[in-house]
Amino acid sequence: MLDAGICNYVVITYGHSALWGGGMAQMLFQMTRNEAAFGHFGAVGGYALAARRAMHEFGTGPGTWQRIASGQRKWAALNPISVMGKKPLAEEDYFKAPMAADPFRLVDICLVSDGGRAIIVTSAERARDLRQPAVLISGMGQQNPSREIGQARYMAGPTGAKKAGKEALQMADVSLKDVDACQIYDCFSYTVEITLQDYGFFGPGEGGDWLKGGTIEPGGSMPVNTSGGQLSEAYFMGLTPIAEAVMQLRGQCGDRQLGPQTQTKPPEVILASDNGGILQSHACFVLKKG
Amino acid sequence: MTYNDLTPTPDADSKPFWEGCRNHELLFQKCAECGEIRWPPGILCPRCHSQEVEMVQSGGKGTIYSYVIYHQPFHPEFADKVPYVVAIVELEEGPMLITNIVECPHESLACDMPVQVHWDDVSEECTLPKFRPA
Repeated sequence: MLDAGICNYVVITYGHSALWGGGMAQMLFQMTRNEAAFGHFGAVGGYALAARRAMHEFGTGPGTWQRIASGQRKWAALNPISVMGKKPLAEEDYFKAPMAADPFRLVDICLVSDGGRAIIVTSAERARDLRQPAVLISGMGQQNPSREIGQARYMAGPTGAKKAGKEALQMADVSLKDVDACQIYDCFSYTVEITLQDYGFFGPGEGGDWLKGGTIEPGGSMPVNTSGGQLSEAYFMGLTPIAEAVMQLRGQCGDRQLGPQTQTKPPEVILASDNGGILQSHACFVLKKG
Repeated sequence: MTYNDLTPTPDADSKPFWEGCRNHELLFQKCAECGEIRWPPGILCPRCHSQEVEMVQSGGKGTIYSYVIYHQPFHPEFADKVPYVVAIVELEEGPMLITNIVECPHESLACDMPVQVHWDDVSEECTLPKFRPA
């Protein structure tokens, strides 16, 4: 639309009173309407089924997810508006957290939040004239392996992330080595693992080792979900990861800003993801400093 | 909302399946053209788009593709049922059903474990196909 001159600016918004409105619970309930008689509700059970299959197929599990949940919590501690930032999540805290839908503990599950985010998309030329530093969408990819989720064989990957990630990197003409940080849609800790795995950061089941030693944390070689993400900052669907990627590339992230102050690479290229349903759709963006 | 409000509401496509359950029979649509046994039920074969269909009965045997143990009730009707097991069971004939695993200690659960159908008459109108170790 921007290219065709139909419009000059596109505002993409997400806002929800999910905590007190109950709309989120209603939407999730509708998702599993036919399975309610079996006590199967919403997205937690669906992703837990996927995670369990992944444990069986490539040997992942809570040991891997703890590194994701605790790593993101460290970023949240640097973000004054994060919901969970003041509550540390050490390894023992993770394993003490109540089981919600085994194999998921409460701390493997994203927050429910009141609030919102918005981004404005325009041409690169216009963006450079505006008050805020420009960020460029230099690649995008989408893959929707959507079908009745009960019939899906991709719960343990490859999910839509594999093709979407490859397309986005190709369009941007960069490789994973050029990526400075990732903002991954993290409805659950396992979603982060399977997305990074399908993007090619590590092989199936190698996530636990890859994450060891704080890879995704402040000071790590591949920072992930630097606001705390949906697990520890707030849940605004795909706009939690995208907005954070944009703010990081603009250098507007305060104490958690990527670069010397968090002993990380100053970001030039950030990979951001979104997914929908139970791993039924996936979008990947490569964003670059403008 | 009571438990009966949570039971499936059969539509034109799914009615034969749920009627079959009341008779303790697992009935699936089989494409009369290409032989695909489909689930969920629908008007068209997802593989060849034929509308010609016959019904076949499953032997009720399969394996657990994946499972989850609910420790938190996500609905008040399940408050006194936790912890309980929801699973995807892959039937020998192909369809994969979201269901419950019953009569199985949770520590014995495993993906790919053989199971067989176990009928649960939850009300006059509704029987649910659940599964137990084979």
